[in-house]
Amino acid sequence: MLERILTKQFRDSLKATFKDIQQQQDIRDEKEFAKDEQRIKEQLLDTVDPFPQDVVFDEDFLVGAVDGSGNDGLALLDDVRVHLFSTACVILSTNTQSSEPFTPLDDTRIEECLGSSQPHLETFWYTGVKDDARRKMAEYIDYISSVSDPLEIVMPFFRDFTRGEIDSWNDLKDSKYAKYLSRLESIQNLISRVNLTNSTIHDQLRTISEYAAARKILDSSIRPKYLLLDGAMSVFIHHIRNYPSMPSGFLLREMCTRARKEGVILCAVSKTHTIPFAHRIAQMAADVFGETSKWFCQLPGSEDPGGGLHITQSRTYIPPMLAVPYLFSFSRDNRPSRIDFDRIWWLENIFVENDPIATRENEKALFRELEYMSRDARWYGYPVPLAVAHEQCKISYQDIRLAREICWDVRQEMGMDERRMEPQRTDFNL
Amino acid sequence: MMTLDKDNLGELYGRVGVGDQSMLGLMGRNQDISVGEIFMIYSEREGHERVFFFRVLGLQNYLRQVDDIGRIASTLMVEGDSYLSGIDRNKLLSIDGKMLGYAERDAGGDWVFRSPRRLPDHLAEVYRPVPGTSDDAVRDMLASQTGGEVFLGDLQVGEETLDVPVHIPAEFLPMHVGIFGATGSGKSNLMMVLIKSIIDNNMDRLSGESAGRFNVSAFCIDPHDEFAQGVDTYGIQDIVETMDAKTRQEVLGDFYYLTTHLQAAPREVRRYGKELRILWEEIKPQDLYSIMDFTGQMYAFIDMVYSRARGDWIAEILDMDDDPDGTPKGTLRAVQRRLRFVDRSPIFIRSGNSVLGDIFESMETGRILVVNTSLMSDMEQFLLTTVVTRTLSDLRKALKSSGNLGDFDTQAGMRLPSSFFKKVRERARAFYGFGGASDSASVKDPRSLPVLLVTVEEAPSILNPELMRGQSVFKDISRQGRKFNIGLLVISQQVSVLDNVILSQMNTEINLRLGNEREIKACIENASVNISGFQNEFRVMSRGEALVTASYRELPLPVRVPLFDNVFEKDKARYKKKVSGTAAEKHTL
Ligand SMILES: Nc1ncnc2c1ncn2[C@@H]1O[C@H](COP(=O)(O)OP(=O)(O)OP(=O)(O)O)[C@@H](O)[C@H]1O
Ligand SMILES: [Mg+2]
Repeated sequence: MLERILTKQFRDSLKATFKDIQQQQDIRDEKEFAKDEQRIKEQLLDTVDPFPQDVVFDEDFLVGAVDGSGNDGLALLDDVRVHLFSTACVILSTNTQSSEPFTPLDDTRIEECLGSSQPHLETFWYTGVKDDARRKMAEYIDYISSVSDPLEIVMPFFRDFTRGEIDSWNDLKDSKYAKYLSRLESIQNLISRVNLTNSTIHDQLRTISEYAAARKILDSSIRPKYLLLDGAMSVFIHHIRNYPSMPSGFLLREMCTRARKEGVILCAVSKTHTIPFAHRIAQMAADVFGETSKWFCQLPGSEDPGGGLHITQSRTYIPPMLAVPYLFSFSRDNRPSRIDFDRIWWLENIFVENDPIATRENEKALFRELEYMSRDARWYGYPVPLAVAHEQCKISYQDIRLAREICWDVRQEMGMDERRMEPQRTDFNL
Repeated sequence: MMTLDKDNLGELYGRVGVGDQSMLGLMGRNQDISVGEIFMIYSEREGHERVFFFRVLGLQNYLRQVDDIGRIASTLMVEGDSYLSGIDRNKLLSIDGKMLGYAERDAGGDWVFRSPRRLPDHLAEVYRPVPGTSDDAVRDMLASQTGGEVFLGDLQVGEETLDVPVHIPAEFLPMHVGIFGATGSGKSNLMMVLIKSIIDNNMDRLSGESAGRFNVSAFCIDPHDEFAQGVDTYGIQDIVETMDAKTRQEVLGDFYYLTTHLQAAPREVRRYGKELRILWEEIKPQDLYSIMDFTGQMYAFIDMVYSRARGDWIAEILDMDDDPDGTPKGTLRAVQRRLRFVDRSPIFIRSGNSVLGDIFESMETGRILVVNTSLMSDMEQFLLTTVVTRTLSDLRKALKSSGNLGDFDTQAGMRLPSSFFKKVRERARAFYGFGGASDSASVKDPRSLPVLLVTVEEAPSILNPELMRGQSVFKDISRQGRKFNIGLLVISQQVSVLDNVILSQMNTEINLRLGNEREIKACIENASVNISGFQNEFRVMSRGEALVTASYRELPLPVRVPLFDNVFEKDKARYKKKVSGTAAEKHTL
């Protein structure tokens, strides 16, 4: 292969590809973006006015964060696959009054409040037998989530999605969703994706594990002011049925509802994102506010005043359903990140109808606190709580290797057959 | 078998990270840890407990979740508003250090200490000793490493000490001890502590309280006249005065203080003092050869005079006017020049009363002598040390090579200046014989007699390679002292300039703070146990702190030498009615 990759031919074919991208996509995007430029610069983009370094809050507050990690091949036994999931919940206090910003809460206190020590490990397995994956996923969700009554799971979505028009099961019966009622009655049936690949299953369960962990924080006595999640608030919607095609979509809405009730600000932060022209927005911010500025920029959708951006028109995932995304940058050296908020919460707490100035003030206050959370020198510009959660939950290659060895060991200990658990290709050194 | 209560080891500090047999890396909470601290690592495998001892040699701040500390540092600089969150928990200390060995119980259940041949388990628990908690456990585990009769100080763990006294066994004193330290490092104070320990040992033996096998005598050169009255508040004189008359008589005899001019000594010291006087006839040519260089012609000349005049050799040479026939011109003058200091010395006298016999008697009775050399020239001091050392060793050598007292007479008569031997003959026979006073009575093995410890101060002046090339008394003793139970206590600010013969025969080193890198290096090379890697430690030592190494021990011991004043205060009640106390009284103590 190497000699192929090193040829001029390969370079030429790459050149052709990038030329195509430039000509077809970039030029189109460029045109679209040009239409948005003025609006972004004048209305959507603004600076964060950071707290002074030695700020002391009248009331220090707690910030929670959840992150998860996993491996979809802890063990392979013929067509049986064992997955591994980890989640970490961390709670930090702003602690400005004792000048120790973002001190983690005591481990034992967290364990007490959440009912399990952190980070948390789970395994999951399923076979290739028809419907087994679906059944086992439903069992896992039932086991891992605080809510398992399908009604409790699905209703928050319909409430939020219809802005309260559908408020009960009876409302649902009378709605256009009536014909799907039976599909909404069991967790297993909420999985309406047809093609369940191993990695789809893994991603779904990982998301659910993280939501379940976040939900535990919301249920606990901890009451953080903010709860940060890793990733975006994107939800896959079944095109025909017009509701989430996977349980995680419902669980996200359930969690948002719960957070609103508890007065917790839910934020989903993604390090990697697919916002086109983010670098151009960053450049704009640098031009307008200066190189070292900290800034944020809303990415509006069709429901927002002024409608969606041209550049995202053809990208239906921005903004995600029932979410409000922003781009932000708190550090000159790093590329901008994205943060999503629950739209319902946003409408109630940030957005002020017909008053863009008040809305902006609310936004500024929000980002001001988010920025203050993001000054740890180890991860400058990224929220500390998420960084800490990430560090806690991540499963390294070494960890997996060791976990696999322990798998093997446990099977031996249990006197089980000596079926090997590595992928078969390793038998042939492939 | 008893299992160890881990709580008695100290506080749980961290875990073993990486390591091999000798160097280990630990991870632990970022506390105030200092170079030189000792940690214990508890390890249990298959029911067998081991406690590894680990000494901190280097520290490094270590931020968990950080690979690139440099980047963090620069972010902290550039982004003025940045912080480090949860730093207490995340900030760990990475500790490099040396495995000193491990303690385990032998088949009989006693703790033994072994060289580091094993590794503690990965992630084994690391304990930091805590004074007041760990003392008993550590004392038990290190009994084999700290035992003996001569107390030096307490085991130091970091900045604090445990109640774990460290001793030198008297039986190893004849294998020579070195005290090395820069000026102000606490050598004099240490000497006083040692003298006190020796007095205590002898006193406890007399009262039957000590199980020690030896009385110890010490001939202690005191170049600044500080031992008697002390460096700070108390001195040996205070011990002497605290003792009741009987104890004093039995432990110290009539005198302990030797000085050039008794009249110059304070009145109270004078009562226990004697003037240092050595007759010329008690000096042998060899004594001079040990302390200064002579040419071949001078040797030949001196030997010629000595073989004819014997004890009168110095007087005869000093009285000569011309080179005798056959002696190259100028030889006489050159030798006279070298002897001039003897001629002028108030100590070395042509005629009168010598104190050498009394010194001999004291030393053979297990006494300590403090020798004020502050008013002597270096040469006088060296010659004095040499004559005393050689005299003591000649007598013990004579004893060693004799089967009975008759033999001893013959042997000693051959070795020693005859006028001197005549004076001490009766006393020597009393010390050395047993089963009667007749010539056929058997003699004792020198190894059953008191250990004779002779201090050599400013050692480089006489224990240097040039002088040691010749017929040095010290070369002889360093090699053979063991046989005669005579040990050298070599005190020096420098190790690097000492002769290798001396260094290689030394089996106990008390390394105090050193002056420079060269001395640190020399000390590390000279140590009887491997202490490579201890450079940093030496650099941060403060006065009174010592690293004690010994060939008969696996563990290099960090010791804090107490201030003499403090140990005296603590123990002074012991000196009253010690020896004379009846058994009944002892029980009420
Ligand atoms: N173990 C100790 N603990 C505390 N202080 C000490 C200790 N040893 C010595 N000192 C103090 O240090 C000072 C110097 O000590 P000392 O005279 O024993 O040093 P030294 O090595 O003999 O110096 P020099 O080479 O000048 O003779 C003294 O004032 C003494 O009080
Ligand atoms: Mg001194």
